[in-house]
Amino acid sequence: MGTRDRIRNLLLGIYAVSCLLAMTWPVYDRFGNSIEPYVLGLPYSLAWVVGWVLMTFVVLVAYHATGKDERG
Amino acid sequence: MPSWWIVFGVSLAYLLASLIIGILPGRKASRTAAGFVAGDRTLGLLVMYFITGATIFSAFAFLGGPGWAYSKGAAAFYILAYGSLGLLPFYFFGPRAARLGRQFGFVTQAEMVAERFGMRSIAGVMALVSVLGFVPYLALQMKGAGYVLAAVTRGNIPEWAGAALVYGIVLIYVSRSGVLGVGWTNTFQGMFMMVLAWGLGLYLPYKLYGGVEPMFRLIADSRAEMLVAPGLTATGDPWSWGEYSTAVLISIIGFSVWPHIFMKAFTARDDRTIRRTVVLYPTFQIFLVPLYLIGFSGILFGSAPERADQILPHMLMHMEIPAVLVGLFCAGALAASMSSGDAMAHAAASIAVRDGLVEALGRRYDEVRQRSLIRITVFVLMIASYVLAVTYRGDLVTLLLYAYGPIGQFAPVILVTLYVRRATGRGVLTGLLVGSAVTIFFGLRPDLKPFPLHPGIYGLAVNLMLLVVVSALTQRQVSQRDDDFLEIARSG
Repeated sequence: MGTRDRIRNLLLGIYAVSCLLAMTWPVYDRFGNSIEPYVLGLPYSLAWVVGWVLMTFVVLVAYHATGKDERG
Repeated sequence: MPSWWIVFGVSLAYLLASLIIGILPGRKASRTAAGFVAGDRTLGLLVMYFITGATIFSAFAFLGGPGWAYSKGAAAFYILAYGSLGLLPFYFFGPRAARLGRQFGFVTQAEMVAERFGMRSIAGVMALVSVLGFVPYLALQMKGAGYVLAAVTRGNIPEWAGAALVYGIVLIYVSRSGVLGVGWTNTFQGMFMMVLAWGLGLYLPYKLYGGVEPMFRLIADSRAEMLVAPGLTATGDPWSWGEYSTAVLISIIGFSVWPHIFMKAFTARDDRTIRRTVVLYPTFQIFLVPLYLIGFSGILFGSAPERADQILPHMLMHMEIPAVLVGLFCAGALAASMSSGDAMAHAAASIAVRDGLVEALGRRYDEVRQRSLIRITVFVLMIASYVLAVTYRGDLVTLLLYAYGPIGQFAPVILVTLYVRRATGRGVLTGLLVGSAVTIFFGLRPDLKPFPLHPGIYGLAVNLMLLVVVSALTQRQVSQRDDDFLEIARSG
């Protein structure tokens, strides 16, 4: 495994742990768990979770696009 | 013509379309078990995306998702939360398993584990647990389909007849086309479900409250506790953060090792297809949002259904909505039920034959014979599930939770099979058996749990501990075989 792959994996790992924490106690409770402000009509507590799901998509696209599988 | 006829006609047209789409690809597959179970390893990205997505979105998501939001509020968000990372392990497990599948001809999860450790009994245990888990799950899907048809036709089609009609069609295309039939119908059903869920999810709040935000503002005024996590339990008490958080965690861990999902690694055309499916999966997950909107729109609806998961049909039947629209909704719910039910019937039968008969009991059948045995087993399992669906009067969801607890315990098994050289078969088997027992025990007696955490967490802790300890005690010479196996997993 090259240095590049190591960094990619490390970053993905950090993201996965952050995402898990963001969606569970205590991070979700402290930062994402309120009704206001409304985002696109959704209460913030729901928009927060939707936001992290979308963020996961973006991170996975980036991880996948930089892997050797897609580079050739 | 009475309006229930229109509703039924629309549903029937939908069922026929599914049948045709499901039957056509059967001609292309080879007449072997690999053709029937793994589609000769030819599935591309579009079908893989919908086969994983639509398989996961079952009648539970389509009726249960709104039901949870309606009765438990923000507790429902946990389903969305675990889906974001849930398929991620598959990005790494999937290609490894696929390489081993191509080399050794595996089409199920358990044959891979049994080959790695040279122990047939593991395949037997995994097969038994999987089949025991699938039958109540399938029965639940059948009940869902029968219930929806009965509700929208105002009882003119009784539940038993609706379930028989819908699953008769599933039986035809699954036994004819195998996984290719499942794949193409799921693609069609998946698209249909998405359009319908978004349509209803935006239409109901708009029609009833003048929009999504006005609806949430009304709920915030009178039932604010519904909009903040961790929401409520089934009895209406506040849910605990420990249970909510560990439910998210255990679901992420267990998600990608569900046999009917994991087996799809063996169907993909190449590694790239598997990885891309995982990358795209969160976009499918967003489809829960309109389902939540439907559920939330029921909170202030006025009248209440008998059971929470009946909220969507309940609202549709009590509003002035054209019969064609109700028919489309019905078709969408049937799509959700069928797209999970077909994959389960197919997976359970494949597992029973390949892992149970061939691997664990050591019967020798050629590939063509295996294929016909799997078809017969699809039939037998569907009849068994149907009988359970129409006769069992207890709470099926509870039965399902007991059955599914042990499947979550497959995660460490798959992990060490694909990555860890020093693990032994006895360690794996001991961990699996005791871990499952612990999960079931705390599922049955939640009052004995030392902390309010998901029962699967206790099972996993014991499972991992025993796996490590027993593996260390039964350590044999690490053989060339283990090295070869892991080398194939790594590079094909």
